[in-house]
Amino acid sequence: MTRPVLELVDVVRQYPGSPPVRALDRVNLTVLTGEWVAVIGPSGSGKSTLLNLMGALDQPTSGTVRIDGYDVAGLDDERLSALRGHSLGFVFQSFHLLASLTAWENVATALVYRGVPAAERRDRAAAAMTRVGLGHRIGHRPAQLSGGECQRVAIARALVGEPALVLADEPTGNLDTRTGEEIMGLFRELNGDGTTLVLITHDPAIAASAPRRVRIRDGRIVASELDGVTG
Amino acid sequence: MTVSPVASGVDEQQQPRRLQRSVLTFRDALGLGVVGLRGRRGRALLTSVGIAIGIAAIVAVIGISASSKANVLAVLDQLGTNYLTVTPGQSLAGDDTPQLPPDSVGRLSLLDHVQSVAATAHLDVIVRRSDQMPPTNTRGTVVLAAEPDLLTTLNGHLRSGHWLAAGPRSYPTVVIGATAARRQGVDLAAGDQLLWIGDQWFAVVGVLDAMPLAPELDNAALISTEVATQKFGYQGSPTTVYLRASPADMDGVRDVAAATADPTSPQEVDVTRPSDALEARAATDTAFTTLLLGLGGVALLVGGVGIANVMVISVLERRNEIGVRRALGATRRHIRTQFLVEALVQAALGGVAGVALGTAITVGYGLSMDWPIEVPFAGLAGGVLAALVVGGLAGLYPASRAARLEPAQAVRPI
Ligand SMILES: Nc1ncnc2c1ncn2[C@@H]1O[C@H](COP(=O)(O)OP(=O)(O)OP(=O)(O)O)[C@@H](O)[C@H]1O
Ligand SMILES: [Mg+2]
Repeated sequence: MTRPVLELVDVVRQYPGSPPVRALDRVNLTVLTGEWVAVIGPSGSGKSTLLNLMGALDQPTSGTVRIDGYDVAGLDDERLSALRGHSLGFVFQSFHLLASLTAWENVATALVYRGVPAAERRDRAAAAMTRVGLGHRIGHRPAQLSGGECQRVAIARALVGEPALVLADEPTGNLDTRTGEEIMGLFRELNGDGTTLVLITHDPAIAASAPRRVRIRDGRIVASELDGVTG
Repeated sequence: MTVSPVASGVDEQQQPRRLQRSVLTFRDALGLGVVGLRGRRGRALLTSVGIAIGIAAIVAVIGISASSKANVLAVLDQLGTNYLTVTPGQSLAGDDTPQLPPDSVGRLSLLDHVQSVAATAHLDVIVRRSDQMPPTNTRGTVVLAAEPDLLTTLNGHLRSGHWLAAGPRSYPTVVIGATAARRQGVDLAAGDQLLWIGDQWFAVVGVLDAMPLAPELDNAALISTEVATQKFGYQGSPTTVYLRASPADMDGVRDVAAATADPTSPQEVDVTRPSDALEARAATDTAFTTLLLGLGGVALLVGGVGIANVMVISVLERRNEIGVRRALGATRRHIRTQFLVEALVQAALGGVAGVALGTAITVGYGLSMDWPIEVPFAGLAGGVLAALVVGGLAGLYPASRAARLEPAQAVRPI
């Protein structure tokens, strides 16, 4: 449990403009295998910017981002894509499911770019759907599912490739409190099974579920809290 | 982007294991293209219509002109291609009009392999429907003296009545061509028909069928050479000699025909093969065909622009999908491939529909014209290929726009 999955060293992300916006300012953060970290901060504090950098969707203006051992600055588009596909799983606030695909096809899409054969994709997608409690809904379209169910499908899609790190940006933001708690219960379960999690939220109640909380404000980490309690 | 010293110092040997590359198999790419359209079926179909119309027009034009050519060749086959026409050509001296000698018919008929010979001579007299009409009103009909063998030599047919009977007759008779009959309003079924030729009445005894190999006869009023000699002072110099030879020896006969017809000045004799002219006419594409092909091309182009337009909108609408796919491991190249395949699938749908429609039009038109139906396979394959090329070009710009999207931008909620 000591191997770092994610290392941010003096990371700066500045958006061009006049004046330029320094969305992240010398951020240092290390996430170890098996950890569950909540990043909490008010709107505009740089949370989504941070998640994009952690997920190799974006590059820092300066500083180093190392994901699963790879320095993203040294990777071209081919390798960055491969890193995202193999080492990372994403859960977005608005689910981002593909409306023209069924639930299991959405989940299986995570395996397409890894070259997994179609039959195996189907089996693994079904297994991931069962794992998030949606084994009976695999043939449904996103439009036929509730918000909570959609988010479960999105979580199954993030899990199905067994990534080193799952990143979630406001995964309960579009859900009511009860459904949000169910989703948090699911994350707790997954972390219990060994999945490394970084969860971004502006909601202190949600952040309280995580054993480790990192507070961010105006692009800087202002506090890092760790408690021994899980669950 | 600024690369920090730390970043530039780190490379492969510090990395725990080699990264496996992202892949997109051909089958998956094709699947993505089809699935991408599944979500917007109506739009995809409408977009394909432009391509379909363009391809249908092109295929139909090619098919119809091929069927038309096949028809001409079939007609020629039936008429026979073993005919020669011998006519006086240009005078080398350039003064008076050359004439064929009166004995040219006799000499030509003695040639080896020649099966039958017959001549006509142009007579300088006027034909009218009645003596009440002004002499200028000939309705385009010319008077020809015809030898008795003319009809059999040309393998021609009478639509009604009978041919000019041999031997002297108590009253003059005339047989007229198909076009002349129509223009003069001659209909044997309506009773006895008379024509005013020169300065006396002739009885119309027969009407010819159209003669594709001797179209000059369609406009003619034919009288026998005897009558022509008696009434109009015909001297016996033919203006056209029709000659039928055995099909295998056409070239040999053709080579000697001019010198045989007029041994003293063979350069002043023209020998033509009427079937050649018909064949050549069938082979040349008319301006109309070219125009239709051009219109088909324009429709195809407009169809391509339609696809490009719809795809650009699609890229904007599907920004989040692009972001998700990038997050799931798709490279820029994979995104480009996906959108390109989508454009190609739409174009292929249009192409296949267009080929089917164009074939149906060709068959329908061919049936209505009673032509042999000829649908050139190369035209069909070319149609689908053209659609794919147009689709590929149309998809290029939207696909590269999709590929250029930054992943972080693409995942932001729309
Ligand atoms: N593409 C961009 N170009 C310019 N400025 C940007 C861009 N993205 C974010 N910013 C700015 O960077 C800062 C941090 O934005 P970010 O989206 O990371 O905040 P956040 O913490 O996720 O906020 P929220 O809770 O509202 O989602 C904001 O001031 C924002 O305006
Ligand atoms: Mg945000």
